[in-house]
Amino acid sequence: MSQVLIQAGNRLLNALGRHSELIMQAYVNGTVTERDHSPKVLEQLVQLGVLWRPDPDSELRLKSAVRTLLEGSLQDERSRTINANIGASLASLKTLAEHYKEALHYGRYNDATAHMGDLTEHVYQLTESLSNSVRVMFSRIANEFGYVASVEAKIRENELAQGQVTELLYQLECFRFDELSEIAGSNRELRHLLVVSLQKSFSRAAQELSVVQARLLDLLGRFREFQGRTRLLKGYLLHMEQQPDFVPGNYTRLSQVPVLFNQAASMLKPAFADVNNVSHEAQLQEVVGSLTQLHKRQPEQHASSPDSDIDVSEQDTVSLTKDPIHREVDSFFCAVIDTGQPRSALTYYAEQGLSFDPEVWIYQVIGGFQALNDTDKQYFALEPHGRVDRTFDGNFYINDITLGLR
Amino acid sequence: MMTEQGRVVSKLLQGEFICQVSDEEGWRYLKRRDSAEQIEPHLNLLNRTLASTAEGEVFFAGYLTLGDDERKVLHQQFQETATSLVPLVEWLLLVQQASESDMPVTMGNAIRLNELQSTIEDTPAYAEQLEKISRYRLFGSTSVNLDGQLKQVFKRLTELGYLLKPNSEKQIYLATGKVEHLYEMIRFIDETESLSLSEQAEAAIQQGSLL
Repeated sequence: MSQVLIQAGNRLLNALGRHSELIMQAYVNGTVTERDHSPKVLEQLVQLGVLWRPDPDSELRLKSAVRTLLEGSLQDERSRTINANIGASLASLKTLAEHYKEALHYGRYNDATAHMGDLTEHVYQLTESLSNSVRVMFSRIANEFGYVASVEAKIRENELAQGQVTELLYQLECFRFDELSEIAGSNRELRHLLVVSLQKSFSRAAQELSVVQARLLDLLGRFREFQGRTRLLKGYLLHMEQQPDFVPGNYTRLSQVPVLFNQAASMLKPAFADVNNVSHEAQLQEVVGSLTQLHKRQPEQHASSPDSDIDVSEQDTVSLTKDPIHREVDSFFCAVIDTGQPRSALTYYAEQGLSFDPEVWIYQVIGGFQALNDTDKQYFALEPHGRVDRTFDGNFYINDITLGLR
Repeated sequence: MMTEQGRVVSKLLQGEFICQVSDEEGWRYLKRRDSAEQIEPHLNLLNRTLASTAEGEVFFAGYLTLGDDERKVLHQQFQETATSLVPLVEWLLLVQQASESDMPVTMGNAIRLNELQSTIEDTPAYAEQLEKISRYRLFGSTSVNLDGQLKQVFKRLTELGYLLKPNSEKQIYLATGKVEHLYEMIRFIDETESLSLSEQAEAAIQQGSLL
């Protein structure tokens, strides 16, 4: 028996491998284009239960078992089928458990082992289908139903998913662990399968489904928000088309202006450079240094200035008239030279009856002496008369000066 | 160096909108209740107050008390807003329709100019729509080719603060909180004037006559 089964299975898998292209095409397109393939191959695949014809005049399609296998293995996001028939699986589990217990009771150990294998298979199938359903849900949420374009379609997809979650949760309620543990009784293996492993997958599925449900509601809210916004925009345009002269009321005249329309004007303007601020000196210098514009502009201005005629006629002579005090200083020097005697500046001042301020006169005489060139200066000697300040040393008050010849 | 407080206050006084996209640090600062309270006296001193829209996600400075001068400013602003609503709404719908996902433009959305441009180029109806939009005074494009029109519209929107170009070398724009403010304003007008815009749009969709 088993040998025949293995051979048949190998034949099926080989056929799947040989015609993988055809099968994948059918998976992606939904139907097989019969013209492209030989009728013999198609007939073989139909006999193997890979393809089937729903109606006599419809095209060949993939059997749902093959499709589910592909969806599950490829983790295809388009997969929407959720196996929610947990109640039926649980019923078969209970039946198998009863078979097993009966076989044990009568000592038919071979049968018991076979039943146990079946039961194990069923339990793992159930846990796998549970975790698979949750994964399908999550993958659809993760890309926010990216496989459909419009927001409306997304909302419909979301509603479908929510329905499936509700159905799954409803089915999860079929788990009655008190019943299961009663069936398992004191048998260790049964207890492990029916209670421990089922409970583990049950609690994980329930927990994840509640997360899924929350996320779905959240997404639905967002989609509705998007839909609302789109409608608002389209509605506004439509309204403006119908009533082009529509102007919203002036809300700024209301005594309480809505916050939306109360937006203060910009008031900050750039500050100015403070050249007296010493701490900014370095930065300001840098700024000035980088002003290339300043240097560029100057030659332009030169170039643009109009040519002017150069006046080559003789310029008026400028007569430099000497200050009276200068003349008096000169004549004082001359008097010293004439007499050959040293003379006090203030004595000369008194003799000549000069009208300048005496201090200015003394300064001017000193200035006149210092203004001589070095060779002329050698002929004269200037000696100040005065006294040292009583309090502060280094300060010397000049009362008079004497100019003489060396 | 200015403190975060000083930076935020000066941004507000410059009339800028602060949202998570345009200035995340400032936005985080304003989201803390105590820091918002701290800057309030500074704003009050200048007859400003901290205002927010879009469910507290976007901040800006509003007037504290309204005198004649303030009302004049607001009135002018309102006039500008009212005239720019149609161009902006048409632009929002164009971007939404031309993007593959059919999602409305919301705060933080990235708009890739190159992708948008190729979609519009391939669809004559969108190209016509863009030309119409770009001629509005708000955008003021005089360009005859599509590339120039699109660039001008995006440039103006960036100037107006609706879009942000995070990387000056890449043609990717982010929608700021000001877009949310725009939706809020339309919603407000809808409610205040009882226009029931959504219902109008829905009825038109059912009749199959819209856009």
